[in-house]
Amino acid sequence: MQGAKDYLRQLAVSAPGLWVLIAGFMVLPVYTSFADLPFWNDIAMRIMLLGMASMGLNLVLGFGGMVSFGHAAFIGIGAYCAGIANYYGMDNGWLQLAMALCVCAASGFVIGYLSLRTAGIYFIMITLAFAQMLYFLFVSLEKFGGDDGMATDRSDFILIDLYEPLRLYYLILCALVITGIILSVLVRSRFGVTLQAIKSNPSRVEAMGLVPFKFKMTAYVISAMICGMAGALFTSWQEYVSPDIMHWTRSGELMIIIVLGGLGTLTGPLLGAICFFLLEEFLPEIIAWIAPDYAENWMIIFGPVLIAIVLFARGGLLGACSRLSALARSGGRL
Amino acid sequence: MTADILKIENLTLRFGAITASDNISLTVRTGEIHALIGPNGAGKTTLVSQIYGALRPDAGRIIFDGEDISTTTIAARVHKGLARSFQISNVLMEFTVLENAILTCQALSHSAWRFFKPAFTDSQLITAAQAILAPVGLLDRKDRQVSALSHGERRLLELALAMAGSPKLLLLDEPMAGTGPQESRFMTDLIAGFKGNTSILLIEHDMDAVFSLADRLTVLVEGQSIACGTPAEVSADQRVRAAYLGSEEL
Repeated sequence: MQGAKDYLRQLAVSAPGLWVLIAGFMVLPVYTSFADLPFWNDIAMRIMLLGMASMGLNLVLGFGGMVSFGHAAFIGIGAYCAGIANYYGMDNGWLQLAMALCVCAASGFVIGYLSLRTAGIYFIMITLAFAQMLYFLFVSLEKFGGDDGMATDRSDFILIDLYEPLRLYYLILCALVITGIILSVLVRSRFGVTLQAIKSNPSRVEAMGLVPFKFKMTAYVISAMICGMAGALFTSWQEYVSPDIMHWTRSGELMIIIVLGGLGTLTGPLLGAICFFLLEEFLPEIIAWIAPDYAENWMIIFGPVLIAIVLFARGGLLGACSRLSALARSGGRL
Repeated sequence: MTADILKIENLTLRFGAITASDNISLTVRTGEIHALIGPNGAGKTTLVSQIYGALRPDAGRIIFDGEDISTTTIAARVHKGLARSFQISNVLMEFTVLENAILTCQALSHSAWRFFKPAFTDSQLITAAQAILAPVGLLDRKDRQVSALSHGERRLLELALAMAGSPKLLLLDEPMAGTGPQESRFMTDLIAGFKGNTSILLIEHDMDAVFSLADRLTVLVEGQSIACGTPAEVSADQRVRAAYLGSEEL
């Protein structure tokens, strides 16, 4: 009992920022209902879903040092698992979720097995190639709307009616909490520290008598499954699924979110997702306020802001935060 | 235990026009320290890499502890009792000394595939890790990040990690390279202390160390083994003097 308590405490301490952000999402609906801003709940769900997917990608990108440029494919596979199941009338959300996890594990295994034999730029290109292949596969599936995608209902999660207010919101939040717990446990476990050692120096890990490939494969499959879970829930949130969800720019977006928040940290991806989408949401308004004629060109500011953060805040926003707090503690002395 | 822990038969490896290992045969007897010397580019590291499994020979056999390991993976060789230290320190720079040792301990105890309990606070692992750091005197440095260690300390850490699994054969690739005279002496004493617990194949340029440690020597020149014997025999060999030692008196 004491052990379990200690364990939970360690878990919380290992990434306090993550749990603060999650607590924020927990109480946000209270604020939005008082302030009558239901639109914010919608943005928050989008942030949580893509934050979750980024956390999944971060396991391979940040902790494993594998630059996968094709993780949007797994979000897409998860989303289509739910969408196609709905199309055929199999609308049980839990089964759809299980199916998304299984299909993503299988496709993650195949894609990982083939692409993890390469490294560096070749790995980036081959993961991108697989993602594009899957993208065009879904574009070609006329039955499921092809290029245009298809509208679908929210899935039927037995006991939880997603058409009731906030049910979907808290379902997504639960998935986010589970992802957070799994990842915080995983990266500190023997498996997780070995994965980080492989990122640091694979030949050292080989000298220990381990096969780095197997660890990378396992991490890749787990991360594909997390993205798949996010994808399956994405379909219920959007009530619509199209190949757009797995466009290569989405893979890039996930990578930007991670680098923006803090590569290889537990809190970074969620923090990055929050900042990314808030910028995306409010930058046009701010620009419209300053220079109304240029409001639609907000991306001209958005890009440089992202580049500046990535270039100048080493360790992303999380790194900047921890340096600022260290500065404050030392009383302003550097 | 066989009388010869390592037996290399007619090993050949070519890189294009260069024959890096030219029909090399060599044995390391159980319990001995066998030094591999030769001028730069003689193919010493290439030979060790083939024994370790990072390079595949074009021809020949490598028999380790009575078993042909010529085509097995590095991991299989490590589990059979082979360990190696590298010419350029091969340690985990972003981790602390203790974490390096913990990672090695968990791997050698076949327990790296666990997904739940935190590794770096596991008291069992910490005890095991401290036990491998103590002999090389790095215990008081255990919480330092490896990137903040001196070069000599990194060499010591790598030696400790290589010895962690009580290997049957230790391949040491220039363990003293770049260390000061004092560190070099400490390292020599350490390696001398391993004698009897393990067999060692040692590449080293520091001739004082080689002659004080080695039971036997093999001299490699341009991929060929030109002499093998006790230090006294080898230093008396005219071909060795001509090819490698020059006119320098030993």
